Amino acid sequence: MDWTEILRFSRGPLFHFSLVIFIAGMIYRLVRIIFLGWEKDRVKSQGSKLSGVIISYLKGLIILPFIPWVRRTFKNNALTFIAGGLFHLSLFLVLIFGEAHILVWQSLFGVSWAPLPNPIVDWLAAVGIISLIILLINRLTHPVLRLLTKLPVWINWTLVFLPFVTGYIMYHHLWFPYEVIFSLHLIFVCLLLIWIPFSRMSHFLFYFFSRTIHGARAGKRAVTP
Amino acid sequence: MKTASALNTYLKETGGWVAAQLEACTRCGICAEACHFYQALGNPEYAPVWKLEPLRRAYEQRFTLAGKIKLALGMEKRLTDSDLEHWSQIVYEACTVCDKCAFVCPMGIEIGPLIHKVRTGLAAAGLVPGDLAEATDKQKTIGSPLGVTDEMWRERIDWITDEWESNIPVDKAGAETLVVFTSIELMKFPDNLAFVAKILNQAGENWTVSSKGREVVNFGFFEADEELTKLFMHRVFQAAEELGVKRLVISECGHAYEAFRWTAPNVMKVPEGLEIIHITGLIHQYWKTGRIKIKEGAFDGETITFHDSCKIQRLGGLIKQPREILQVLAPTSFKEMTPNKEQSMCCGGGGGVISIKEADSNRYKVFEMKLEQLQDIQAQAVCMVCSNCRLQFVDSLAHFNSAVKVHSLAELVARALI
Repeated sequence: MDWTEILRFSRGPLFHFSLVIFIAGMIYRLVRIIFLGWEKDRVKSQGSKLSGVIISYLKGLIILPFIPWVRRTFKNNALTFIAGGLFHLSLFLVLIFGEAHILVWQSLFGVSWAPLPNPIVDWLAAVGIISLIILLINRLTHPVLRLLTKLPVWINWTLVFLPFVTGYIMYHHLWFPYEVIFSLHLIFVCLLLIWIPFSRMSHFLFYFFSRTIHGARAGKRAVTP
Repeated sequence: MKTASALNTYLKETGGWVAAQLEACTRCGICAEACHFYQALGNPEYAPVWKLEPLRRAYEQRFTLAGKIKLALGMEKRLTDSDLEHWSQIVYEACTVCDKCAFVCPMGIEIGPLIHKVRTGLAAAGLVPGDLAEATDKQKTIGSPLGVTDEMWRERIDWITDEWESNIPVDKAGAETLVVFTSIELMKFPDNLAFVAKILNQAGENWTVSSKGREVVNFGFFEADEELTKLFMHRVFQAAEELGVKRLVISECGHAYEAFRWTAPNVMKVPEGLEIIHITGLIHQYWKTGRIKIKEGAFDGETITFHDSCKIQRLGGLIKQPREILQVLAPTSFKEMTPNKEQSMCCGGGGGVISIKEADSNRYKVFEMKLEQLQDIQAQAVCMVCSNCRLQFVDSLAHFNSAVKVHSLAELVARALI
């Protein structure tokens, strides 16, 4: 089997198989949580749950990661906040507005949109890679993070880092023949997709549970989440 | 055996609410820097998320594929008795369930209530630290964690009535408002009862205390033992029902307020139509509606600050009320500590910590940070609305030879009444 064939396989059957695992796995996780049962809250509210939830998301999505000095804890966690925030920004922008990625979205959903200029995406990808490296060093050295980090977390990091770095190498046509690096990029992406439902990478879904719960609770008690 | 009871409790407690939040954790470790115990003592095991380990392991190993795989591959072990003994120290002696971590978590995970659930499992396993268990037992059998018997309570109320010439109605039929005090106030800060009585009488309140529901503190809630939590609240609710009151006033105790106001309706039957309010909210109401009048600038002069109690301010929402009053009492010399309001730092004595002798060194170490905050603004006095915080302040300020004076809000208001 040569690389052209590997490429055909990884962008075709492998990619679609991974997508199915990813989607089915996440649906399973979601259903599982929902059917674990939820108690009804019978406590009388002192404030508005809805406004609590709205503020909770504003802080969670916009203010907290990128304007983190609203939090006093920021200064003791500057690395996690800045590198973590920049990593997520880079991830979403590259994934959604990278020219090559838009082609993938188009093949999946049939719609496309204007890409960000390539040099910007390129810089964003570099920011993502550097952030990941900083986060890794932080995780290796911070006593609390060392206590919390077990094998699955290292796998998380590796499986996020590899698609990033292979994508970057591919864009710059470095070292590898195009088919090889493109195949590797796709294979790592597929591994990541398969891994997500089994790991804490699925936090992107449960984020919406926890932030809603927190906002509603704070709102109910008339405090700022 | 112990582990089995704890595990059963964890599995019973794990609904979607718990599971969704455990799943949301990304192990980022930011919560550590919110925890005053971690900040003061530097032990990574005091990171709030680590305090959830027993609950997380119980949940993952029972309910998730990933947890089962980890177990099968030997990457993770089942909980053992010695694990739980270890976590008993961490969650009872190095956590006040102040819940500041929840307000810092990027995912918004309610770490405090989840730690409460970890405690519930440990309580079911009989792994509550000795001092705390002993005080809880006293509350169960005698009716007060400080061992105040019915006769002692009666005598004490009579003595306070004489000493401060106050009028404290006991078991008054037809009263509209039932006020329940803490044993801490009764025994350590008895003047606070007199001050509260003075305010209520001045406001013309038709109120009473009850000889049956005489303890508002809930050591079952500190332990997080569900049955005891309910039993101790049941005593008060029963008294409220017998007296036929419309309103239940929780005196200066944060955990009690959390239990009565925010927990009771979800775990037990609350007498219908009973309004549950904290004394801070009530005093503020009286002042706002003109039922009491206070002298402006009565305490102007020495720098006074306000200590936010976790369960009454950050989690109780009574943030602006005491401040509005303090701004009247000391318009020029009232000063805020930083951090404050929702982001304030816990005193270190809450959640039952102050009743555990082994936790004393932790408690003092944490208080050093509070002391720094007081010194930063050169506070000469500090006001608060929780007698548990107050006990910690009085004890720790003496420990560090500080001259900062400690007042309750009721005291200041009562002394400024016109």
